[in-house]
Order: sequence, then C-alpha cells, then structure tokens
Amino acid sequence: MRVKINKDFMKRFYLFFTVLMLLSAPLVAAEKPRRIVSIGLCTDQLLLILAEREQIASVSVWALDENMSYMIDAVGDLPLNNSSVEEIIKYQPDLVVASEYAAWDTAKFLRQLGYKVKQIPLAHSIADIYSLLRQFGEWTGNQQRAESVIAQMQSELTEIQQRYAGRPEKTVIVYSPNGFTIGANTLENDLFAHAGYINLAASMGIEGFKPIALETLIAADPDVLQIDRNLSRPDSLATAYVGHPVLDKLIEHREYLDIPTRLRICAGPMITEAIEKMAQRR
Amino acid sequence: MNIKALEPRVLYAILLPVLLLVCLFALNVGPVEIDLGKGMRDWFNELTTIESLILFDIRLPRSLLAMFIGATLGLAGAALQGLLHNPLAEPGIIGVSNGAALGAVIVFYYGMAGFAWFLLPLGGLIGALIAVSIILLLVGQSRSIISLILAGIAINSVGGALIALALNFAQSPYAMQEIVFWLLGSVANRSINELFIALPFMLVGWGMILYCGRFLNALTLGEETAKSMGFDVTRLRLVLVLGVTASVGAAVSVAGNIGFVGLVVPHLMRPFVAYEPRRLLLASGVAGAILLLVADIAVQLLSSNGEMKLGVITSLVGAPFFLFLILKSRNVLQ
Repeated sequence: MRVKINKDFMKRFYLFFTVLMLLSAPLVAAEKPRRIVSIGLCTDQLLLILAEREQIASVSVWALDENMSYMIDAVGDLPLNNSSVEEIIKYQPDLVVASEYAAWDTAKFLRQLGYKVKQIPLAHSIADIYSLLRQFGEWTGNQQRAESVIAQMQSELTEIQQRYAGRPEKTVIVYSPNGFTIGANTLENDLFAHAGYINLAASMGIEGFKPIALETLIAADPDVLQIDRNLSRPDSLATAYVGHPVLDKLIEHREYLDIPTRLRICAGPMITEAIEKMAQRR
Repeated sequence: MNIKALEPRVLYAILLPVLLLVCLFALNVGPVEIDLGKGMRDWFNELTTIESLILFDIRLPRSLLAMFIGATLGLAGAALQGLLHNPLAEPGIIGVSNGAALGAVIVFYYGMAGFAWFLLPLGGLIGALIAVSIILLLVGQSRSIISLILAGIAINSVGGALIALALNFAQSPYAMQEIVFWLLGSVANRSINELFIALPFMLVGWGMILYCGRFLNALTLGEETAKSMGFDVTRLRLVLVLGVTASVGAAVSVAGNIGFVGLVVPHLMRPFVAYEPRRLLLASGVAGAILLLVADIAVQLLSSNGEMKLGVITSLVGAPFFLFLILKSRNVLQ
C-alpha cells in the first residue's frame, strides 16, 4: 500500500511545528522552578522574601535561628533541612540555592548528581545586594518582585540619609568572637559608610574579616564600639574575647553599638534597618 | 660539667631580679608601643587612658598569669619527680595536664562554669586527680622509667581523645577549633578574671607542696626510712598529690596544657640546690615563672597576630631536652 503524502501538507506541518517550537521556547524558559530547596541562611532569607510560597520545597534549619535569621516568622510549616545531600534529594528539587562560601561540598556533590545548583556570591557592598536580588529574581522567576524590593530599599536609604544628614561623622570598630574585626571591602563596611561612620579598621588597612589585637583596638580609640555579644551563645574561648573586662571599661567611656546579627549577616533588604539603627546612634 | 651549689641567699639574689627584669620586659612587649611610665602615672591618678588600660588590663594580667602558671608547673614537676622517684615525671608527660584539661573542658563547654567561679579550677583538679590516681595504680612504687612513660602515653592519648570527644558534642560552634588551646596552651587574651579564678587553687596547691619539702628529702632514702624517721607517709603523699592536682588543675583550666616546663626547670635547677628535693621546690617555682614568661615574650615577638600557642615554644625547647634525658638514662633503661 502506498501512502500518498501531500508535499504541501508536509510543508505546512513543518512550518506549524517550527512556529510551535518558537512560541513554546520562551514559555518553557519562563516556567518558574516549583521545588526550590535552600541550604543556607542567606539563600533561605532571599527565597522567603522573593519567591512565592508554593515554589519553596525546603529551607535550612538556620532560617529559624533567633540570632541569625530575619525571616523566622515567614518560615511557618516549611520543611527544614540540615544541608545534607540525602535530605535534599528527597525533595527532588528543580533548583537548589546556596551561598558560595557555605555548604560548598554539598553544592558540589549535588551538581555531580545532576541537580541544578545556583550559588550566590558574597556581597561586598549595597550595590552588590541589588545585583544579587536581581540575579536571584531571575533564577526563581520573580524578577518583578526583586525590582520592587530594590526600589523600596533605595527609597528607604535615601530617606535615612536625609533624616540623619545633619549629624557629625563618628569613628567605629567592630569586635567579634575570636577577636575578629571587619575591614574594607565588606558589606558591613559599606553599611557603616551609609550610616555616616568611619570604620577605623578599614582606615588601618585591614581588608575583609581579620583578627585585631585587643591592644590595637584600645589604642585606635574609636567613638563607638560594636561588639558581637550573643549572650545566649554557650561558653567558648572565642566568645571570651568579647567578654574581656577591658572592653567593659572602654564601653563606660564610649558608646556601644549592638546591631542585631540578623540585620547585617546576610545580603538582603533588612540591611536598611541595620543602617537606620546605626545612624540613630550617631 | 660540675656546677657548684649556691647558697639560697645567692641563688635568690640572682633569680628574683631576673624575674623582675623579665616581667618589666614582658610589660613592654605588645602590638602597640606605649609609654609604661605614663600608663603607671595615669593608673595611680585613677585616669582611664589608652596607656593605663593596655598596661593594667591587658599586659599585667597576662604576664602575672604566665608567671603563676610557670611557677606552678616548675613546682609540680619538682614535686612529681621526687614523689615518683623518677627524673622524667612531669605533669604534661605523665598525663596529669591532659586530665586537668579534660575536666576543665567538660565544665567550661557544658555551661557549668557560670554557676560559681571555683567550678572551672575544680573541674581541672578532679581531672588531674583521676590521671594521677591511674599513674599511681599503674606505676606504683617501681622506679622504672619505661613503665612511667608508657603509662603517661596511655593516659595522654585517652585524655586527648576524650577532650576531642567532649568538644565534639559541645554546643558552641567554636568548640572544636579550640582544641588547639587546650592541647598547647596560651595566656593570650586572658584577663584578670582568669587570674582570680585560678589563683586561690594555685596558692593552696603551692602551700601543700612546699609543706612536704622535708618529706621529699626523706623519701630519697626510701619509704621505709622515711617512715622510721617519723613521717606519716600515706598522709603526706596524699597532701603532695592534692597540692599538685590543685595547682596544675587550676593552671590548665585557664591556660591549657603547656608542656615540658615541669620537666626542664627542675633539671636545670637541681645542681644549684645541691640536689636537695626540698630546696629544689621553691627554686623550680621561681625558675618556672621566669621560663614561661620568656616563652610568652617569644610567642608575642614571633607571631604578631597572637595565633601561636605557648606549648609550641615550650615543646620546641623541652622535647629535645626530654630526648637528652632519655639518652642519658639509657643505662637504666637497658
């Protein structure tokens, strides 16, 4: 039996098929991930801020940490994970989000297993946060939401700057467990700059997170001291650094800044709240 | 080489000024250059200035702590060498320091240190006491160097493993990386608080050890002779052991396990005190203070970021000395 195929029909069929492919391509690309798993504190928060709830399959246990997480209330009944590979593949995620510097071994393993893993870089400035929000919006298909969050941040920052413009600049140094301070080229340094402070650690030439000798800190004689004293933390030698009695004496004669960790540890819109609190104390 | 014994007057006329000089030098060492005179003046005038804060709140507590801990280790080494009739006895080598560190780690990382100031050194004391008891059980009255060292290796290994285990299960995210402090020791960033916590136990321990001086002299003639001379051997041995564990326990609980000081110092001082155990005690205490203070100055000069631990320096000096002692006593070993 011979089937007669109309050539014209074939042409039309190909044309139709090609058009269909072309039309559907952007549709496929624009389809949002539906089972996103976050395996770190900072991506947990970005996810809770930017993504729709139905998109989120799981966030890490850090999202419920009182000291660290800004988005505790948004977690609700979402399943939590400990960023281990076994737990994560259980959700069969179509997107795994992580920070570049945390749980990198898990991220690497998941990639090898063929999962789509996106890692956010460390933000060094507020400008970095904007591009990070945009990128994250693209990954999760929430570009518009990202733009509105950015616009909101920008207007808040302008407002804060205007409100406290008349106050004089002050010098500041950060002292954290294990004697670490925060120098130039860090997000916190940029927060200080936006809040009208001069970070003396950066002026000394310290870059990034580095230990500073207690004597050097005392000799620098800052107007304001920011100490990470998470009193709920259990004892350790690292926290004994910030409990040194000489700091109490210094605080008696200086101002003491205690900006909650959850407002400044991650890149996100909450940093405007940190800047506002800093500027208030100037 | 023959070193002449010195009159106690002469010996301390040398040691004490040296200690004072080293201490003054230590107060001058630090990442920031300050005017010591101005610091003292401001402190006496009750002014809070950068100089007075750095001098009296950072450098002085650290130097005092190094001195007291060095004295404790020297004293304890001399006492243990006399008690065990063994030239290689030392808190670090026989595992007493690791035992103390284990006790302190358990108290410190599991939230007990906050209840009362004395719990931390008490934890150190109990850990040290357990380690000494095991040593006494294993070695007993034998003067064998080999069995003492083997028992020490065993106790040190178990102690080290248990410290790691305790830190593993500790709540603090920093705990595990702090094992370096407990195994190598440091007085960096320690404050007047730690000095006050450890001092009572150390002073009582020193008193108990020094009280046993004559008993240690008699013990060189053998236990039977000591008994016949009227010493209550059982009681005095207990006093000595408690003195060592109280002082070493307190020292380790605030500064970690600083090795070899208790080994080197008594050997260096022995010729100067005519090999008399009673006189060796005090001399080792003062020399230990000098040695550890010098080691702490070296730590500060060698690493400006304060990451180097005291035990690194004392072990670099002490371990070759330990080897030398073993070679010297090879005849005894064979």
